[in-house]
Amino acid sequence: MAMDEIVDGLSEVSCDVLVIGGGTAGPMAALKAKLKNPKANVVLLEKANVKRSGAISMGMDGLNNAVIPGYATPEQYTKEITIANDGIVDQKAVYKYAQNCFEIVEELDSFGIRFLKNENGDYAVKKVHHIGTYVLPMPNGDTVKKALYRQLRRARILISNRYMATRLLKSADGRIAGAISVNTRTAELLVIKAKAVILCMGAAGRLGLPTSGYMFGTYENAANSGDGYAMAYHAGAALANLECFQINPLIKDYNGPACAYVAGPFGAYTANNEGSRFIECDYWSGQMMLEFYNELLSGKGPVFLQLKHLHPNTIQEIESTLHKVERPTRGLFQQGRGVDYRSESIEMHISEIGFCSGHSASGVFVDDNARTTVPGLYAAGDMASVPHNYMLGAFTNGSVAGIDAMEFAESHDFADFDAGEIAIERERVLAPTKREDGIPPNQIEYKTRRLVNDYLQPPKVTRKYELGMRRLAEVREDMQERMIARNAHELLRALEVQSIMDCADMAAHASLYREESRWGLYHLRTDFPEKDNENWFCHTLLRKRNGVMTSEKRAVEPYVVPIADDEKDLYDKQRIRASA
Amino acid sequence: MPLATYQTSVPVVVDETKCIADKGCTVCVDVCPLDVLRISDMRGKAYMAYDECWYCMPCEADCPTGAVTVNIPYLLR
Amino acid sequence: MSSPFESYDDLEDAEERLQAADPAERRVAIIALGHSGDPAAVGHLANMVSDPDAGVRQQVAMALGEFDGPEAAAALVKLLVDPESNVATAAADSMAEAKDPACADVILPLVKHGHAFVRMGALRALKELRRKDTLKPALEALQDPDAAVRVQAIGVIGFLKLEESIPALTALINDPDGHVRRAAVSALAFSQMKTAAETITRALRDEDWMVREMAAETLGLNSNGALAADQLIACLNDAFWQVRLKAIRSLGKMKIEHAVRSIGGCITHEQANLRKEAAAALGEIAAGEGEAYLALVANDPDPDVRKNARWALQQIIAKNASAGS
Repeated sequence: MAMDEIVDGLSEVSCDVLVIGGGTAGPMAALKAKLKNPKANVVLLEKANVKRSGAISMGMDGLNNAVIPGYATPEQYTKEITIANDGIVDQKAVYKYAQNCFEIVEELDSFGIRFLKNENGDYAVKKVHHIGTYVLPMPNGDTVKKALYRQLRRARILISNRYMATRLLKSADGRIAGAISVNTRTAELLVIKAKAVILCMGAAGRLGLPTSGYMFGTYENAANSGDGYAMAYHAGAALANLECFQINPLIKDYNGPACAYVAGPFGAYTANNEGSRFIECDYWSGQMMLEFYNELLSGKGPVFLQLKHLHPNTIQEIESTLHKVERPTRGLFQQGRGVDYRSESIEMHISEIGFCSGHSASGVFVDDNARTTVPGLYAAGDMASVPHNYMLGAFTNGSVAGIDAMEFAESHDFADFDAGEIAIERERVLAPTKREDGIPPNQIEYKTRRLVNDYLQPPKVTRKYELGMRRLAEVREDMQERMIARNAHELLRALEVQSIMDCADMAAHASLYREESRWGLYHLRTDFPEKDNENWFCHTLLRKRNGVMTSEKRAVEPYVVPIADDEKDLYDKQRIRASA
Repeated sequence: MPLATYQTSVPVVVDETKCIADKGCTVCVDVCPLDVLRISDMRGKAYMAYDECWYCMPCEADCPTGAVTVNIPYLLR
Repeated sequence: MSSPFESYDDLEDAEERLQAADPAERRVAIIALGHSGDPAAVGHLANMVSDPDAGVRQQVAMALGEFDGPEAAAALVKLLVDPESNVATAAADSMAEAKDPACADVILPLVKHGHAFVRMGALRALKELRRKDTLKPALEALQDPDAAVRVQAIGVIGFLKLEESIPALTALINDPDGHVRRAAVSALAFSQMKTAAETITRALRDEDWMVREMAAETLGLNSNGALAADQLIACLNDAFWQVRLKAIRSLGKMKIEHAVRSIGGCITHEQANLRKEAAAALGEIAAGEGEAYLALVANDPDPDVRKNARWALQQIIAKNASAGS
């Protein structure tokens, strides 16, 4: 059989809870669902292989937002996130995370995931931020996935690797009924009927094009092509604040973060060409990215990660983590460039755009039980709307989702769905394989993402957005009518580019809807340059209604942790310019 | 419309003298999140079939015999 | 179409595959057993620890790391003493994953092993098991000729958090090795006793700056740390800014009012990290005397310094207001 040859086939299985995505939130959700009811069938479906999939493929160098007793309180954390997110936060979910996350840290520790400890056995929590203390390094973070996999096997979760979910199934009354997926090596279809479904499919990280021009050199794991966002959209679920893009500070040309969280506690910092710090804002946020962006373009740019003022022993300690965990090729990259941290600063830049609530707030709308607006459908991790969640948020909210979804499955039977939907989806999925001639997926993808960079990347200009949408519509037509896939692997890419296109459309639509600027660089609209609390102190929800993309406002839930007026502009007050 | 092949130098290199894919090992192929590695029918060894690499390293780190090397893709090197 | 799910029948023909003549084939079988998650795999893996092929043994050591409990630990014990360093290193790493306190029974005898690497690996694994009966052997290991072994022994003792070990840890601040002295100071953080604080205070004068830095930081965690305020203030003349920084942080945390002048003296240091820390500490202490120093950095080129200075001023104003009312 030729490599990745397309096989005609369709089969059907059923389970109580279906978890889609085996990265961070997904394994935790599957595990918790199964532990809640060991007799139930839990399926974990993964486009790659759960052994090394997702954003934490090669591990993570630390927790950025651990709320550990003695170092930070849930109230303090909730305030911090609320302020960093310009107030647009449903605090209940953030507060719940903050209360539960320490328990999850302890549980991960019991799985054999190692956090940095002092010689007295206490967690070595590091201070990075001005107000709270939330950073817990993981020098052995490269073993995270192995430890998770071990737990999945022990619980006998039904793991299905190399299946890409393409669409969700729903009953006539709108309840979730399952999902359709396709094998990425044979193109055979697998229909999974389920009483509850949890989406843990990661960020939309392959939206913008990295400045290097290498399509897979993205900040996020390049497998995270936004399939979850697209599936939720087509299922009619609401997506929140998609205009709050993800943009991150990176090492120039390399996709690794500059790691203020690893190197920061040791005294390293982001500096301009004069060797001075310039970031006024404290917590990672769009405001911070705006300051970064402005500095890059100012006469004081470019921007560097500065370590050379540190002692060689300290640098060695930093390197041992930076070059082993999360982005282990970083050392290789610096070596290739001939950069030694001891003598030279590291040039930085900003990443391409994407959706990711893990770092910002753009995600499928969920409440504090990880429920989406579709009954029986849940979301957790980078693709769910709980803001600034990072890895520990994925674990914690994955756990919440797993437990709640199992409860839902216990009280509901399988929902009926129209069998005709399967035939329609099969035809849609396989369409690129039926054409003799056309455009390969990589060209469609490159062009789509190039247009995203040219027209959608902030600063956002209304007229540019309109032009960009027109151009994207032309590419969409090519994608739908002319794209070809000659084997199952190419079909995987062809399906991914359809998710990317959907995300590009959503990014454009959501950005044009919010007529103000907010979240610093994430939603900087040059024709609406001011923050407008009177009209836009609200979430925006995007969803498909009668086949059409729509947006609406949604009020911010009353705060559970009150924020005094003088705290609201705490960060503004800290942004004290040196007087000339 | 005719299609042409686009030449690239691939980032992942396999030392065939060390690779034990012909003995049934599939570790590197399994762990790749982008699914770009395959085992050659002809030689029975692993190789990079698609230049779609996130240079994330599990293939190199998890290879039991140290046969796999991940290089930084040329465009960003 | 075959089953879409990962198989749970990994052990089916394991016996046979582990007997393959080709070591590479045995390796592949071991990898599968490691991934299986099936506790019954441990027995099969344990049978392979004497395989003639070092690569196979290394694979066994790695695979055993996927399992917890005395049976896996007993097999790893045999691999930790393997003459091939790759095998022994893999065994040490796997052994450190153990969480089941029962593993300590098989690991403990290795603390007396003839090779330093083995003793070190054994102690490293014992740390997380936190079993009281490991204290005595760990205390004895503090006399080990190898410094790396002593460091691991300190971890075992520190994780147990028993006040009775303070004298032994105290004795270590005269250890010839800097890493040992640093680890001992870090371990003493578990205690709030005055004797612990006194030991840490002595370490402020250590010849190694990293020990001094650790001591300055750790004093801030001890409720008797304030007794060493003057010694911490003396640290503000340390040749290393890193030491000064931690001393300032601890002085701030403990709100030592008479440190304000010395901290203020650091606020114009060329190293921005130190200026920032000094400003923050003046805010923690919130004494009116700090105001004049904070004025010096009101226009500092570093925004973090300005930010902290601004916050510190607010603290001083708030404290004065509440004192006045």
